[in-house]
Amino acid sequence: MTIGLTHFLVLAAFLFVCGLMTILLKRNAIGILMGVELVLNAANVNLVAFNYYQHPGSAAHPLLTGQIFAIFIIVLAAAEAAVALAIFLSFYNSFSTIDVERANEMREQG
Amino acid sequence: MPTPALLLLIATLLPLASFLLLTFVGKRMGEPLAGYVGTFLSGGSMVLSLAALAMWLNASPGADYGAGIGPIVQTFAWLPAGLSATTSGSLEVGIYIDSLTIALFSTITLVATLVHFFSVGYMADDERFARFFTYLGLFCFCMLALIIAGTLVQMFVFWELVGLCSYLLIGFWYERKSASNAAIKAFIMNRIGDAGFLIGFGILFYHLGNATLPQIWVSLGRAGMLTSGEGLVLAGGTTFSYASLTAMGLCLFLGAVGKSAQVPLHTWLADAMEGPSPVSALIHSATMVAAGVYFVARLFPVLTIDVKFVIAIVGVTTLTIGALVAVVQTDIKRVLAYSTMSQLGYMMLAIGVGSWVGALFHLVTHAFFKSMLFLSAGSVIHATHHEQDMRRLGGLYKRLPITALTFGVGVLAIAGTPLLGGYYSKSMILTHAAAFGLTAEAAGRSSGYWLLFILPAVMAYVTAFYMARCWMLTFAGRPRDQKIHEEAEESWVMYTPLLALMVMTVMPSRYIGVEDLVTRSVKEAQRHCESIAGGQPYRGFTTMWPVTPPTEAKSLTAGDVNSMPDIEPPAVTATVGVIEQATRIEHRWAFWAFAIGILLAAAMYLRGFAIADGLMRIAPLRWFHTVLLRAFFIDELYNALFARTTRAASTIIGLFDQYVVDGVVNAVAFVTKQLATLAGITDRYVVDGVVTTTAAFAQDIGAAVRTPQTGRIRVYVTALVLVSVLAVAVTVFVMMF
Repeated sequence: MTIGLTHFLVLAAFLFVCGLMTILLKRNAIGILMGVELVLNAANVNLVAFNYYQHPGSAAHPLLTGQIFAIFIIVLAAAEAAVALAIFLSFYNSFSTIDVERANEMREQG
Repeated sequence: MPTPALLLLIATLLPLASFLLLTFVGKRMGEPLAGYVGTFLSGGSMVLSLAALAMWLNASPGADYGAGIGPIVQTFAWLPAGLSATTSGSLEVGIYIDSLTIALFSTITLVATLVHFFSVGYMADDERFARFFTYLGLFCFCMLALIIAGTLVQMFVFWELVGLCSYLLIGFWYERKSASNAAIKAFIMNRIGDAGFLIGFGILFYHLGNATLPQIWVSLGRAGMLTSGEGLVLAGGTTFSYASLTAMGLCLFLGAVGKSAQVPLHTWLADAMEGPSPVSALIHSATMVAAGVYFVARLFPVLTIDVKFVIAIVGVTTLTIGALVAVVQTDIKRVLAYSTMSQLGYMMLAIGVGSWVGALFHLVTHAFFKSMLFLSAGSVIHATHHEQDMRRLGGLYKRLPITALTFGVGVLAIAGTPLLGGYYSKSMILTHAAAFGLTAEAAGRSSGYWLLFILPAVMAYVTAFYMARCWMLTFAGRPRDQKIHEEAEESWVMYTPLLALMVMTVMPSRYIGVEDLVTRSVKEAQRHCESIAGGQPYRGFTTMWPVTPPTEAKSLTAGDVNSMPDIEPPAVTATVGVIEQATRIEHRWAFWAFAIGILLAAAMYLRGFAIADGLMRIAPLRWFHTVLLRAFFIDELYNALFARTTRAASTIIGLFDQYVVDGVVNAVAFVTKQLATLAGITDRYVVDGVVTTTAAFAQDIGAAVRTPQTGRIRVYVTALVLVSVLAVAVTVFVMMF
């Protein structure tokens, strides 16, 4: 059995659902951040897979668009994590917790 | 600019400097420094005027100005405005300087300086000492600017300003109700005259634009020769009809009537004596009231025959009323006030009969002796601690010898004693009035014209009588109030100016040369007008009615004008023979007036009121006395005619206002209020109902929509995912089928 595009897509879907579930079910902000990382990486897998199987380019001129895109997303995820952690820290300073259920200040109170 | 003009402009501005200086630092200077500063600046003005006079008399032969040569005429653009087709688009101001201007400058500044100096003594210990000199400075500036003005618009501005100064100074002691009333009265009476001035000026402006004096003279110079129905054709081709000319002349003359206290606007002058005596000396005898005469004299060439006739009638009425009323007054200043009015009447009469020189000559001599009389009266009043009633004075010659002397000289001068200034000017006016009567008779007119000579001649006797009476009651006889008498004493600050003025009065007027100067100013004006009109002979100033024929046929030729001697009264150049005859008449009937009047007064009043009180027992005389004492009831007449009717009218209008106008307003207000209540109900139930319903609806929607907004991120994300899945599912479903 050769490994094809479908396998990668299934893997990516699995990762995506895992991340999504983490985001939805976790109350801990750090956990949610992890879920976000999973979702992003699922997208990365898709990008690399599509690049490899659908638009590999020629031997002399290989196309690496998807892979480069994946690297950009990794960098972006790192930056996003930094920002998110700073927000959580600030949140913790205000509420002494990082439970996202408590983050409902924007809602009309009462 | 020629030097004399420059000197006179500086002389004009020095009192302004005095005014500004004293306005800002006068109070700090205090007494008596503020007074001496004012005196000094006024004195500077006098020195400059006299210097200008000297330069004027000794003008270099090559110059185009100087005594008997020509005037200085200069104009400056003032307001750039397209006012009229005849002016070059800008309102011009200018100066006009001739011998008359310089003579009046010298007179005014001399009198003003002496009055300033006198006031230092007179106003001593007054709480508003500095302010008095501030006002005096402003007045001198305005008066000089009025005299030097070259256009009517300037004249009007300064005309109003001297009126303002007069108002301020009459009401200087405004704590006294009578003083503030007198100030208001003077202001209103002048305002009536000024309205006339403005209307007359408007008529002139309509035809000529803002013309300078010589332009007016040249354009309208033939006005005096017109008969009714004719008209003057102006440069622009428009016609200035005789009716308009007459209306213009009468309106302008009305301004002079107000300012110079002529009948019927004369009532303010006697009340104006509420002001301090130096003010009466400067403003209400020597300068401002004479401005009316000056003004009419300047406009002499544009006056039609009818206007001159009205002027003569008004003048003769004024001089008669003034002289008669002065006979019975017991307030020393009111005697002088009515006397001033009477003398101004002489000047107006002179202008009316064409004696241009006589009027202005008398103006100058009168300025000297009347200001001396007023200052002497001021000296008496100051010495007796403000006692003006002659019934409580008397015998003061022992206590105030110098004042008695100066007042006595003034009495002699005004009575027309030969060799004193007043004699020459008064006899000139009477002579010309007689000449007028002769020519009227020769022309077959009514003998009523002789009244213009007879009344002034009779009043010359009366003048001598009432002035001598005034002196007798004040200085001669026994003191009627011992306390006043013993406290009276005079001070050097006050009698020095009196002596200076006495020198000016005693000095034979021919020697001073006032008459020459006034006569030469006519010559200058004529020459100037001729040069403007391209050499045509100019007769505006020498026209005397009713002699002068209305046609040009008998007009003087150019040769006549040029061969005219320098010093001849211009009014009578055409009728030299008549003048000699008139002089004889005048000498026969009026020469001894001074002596007869004074002797009669001495006989009656040397011992006080005894004889006069005896005469008062005769009923008709007593009635006549009452009529005179109340000045012919003219004040009462005006009160009944204008004040009462105005008050009655305002009461009626007040009632109308209260019941009709207020009623309408109240009704409208009531209806409005009811409508408003109705509208309020509508508002509350209909409009508010709609608004409330809308708001409640919006609120309900908001509440419904708000429900899913929990603020929980996970709920949002769940919704996001579900919607995405649903969207994909729908898309796939649609694409499959």
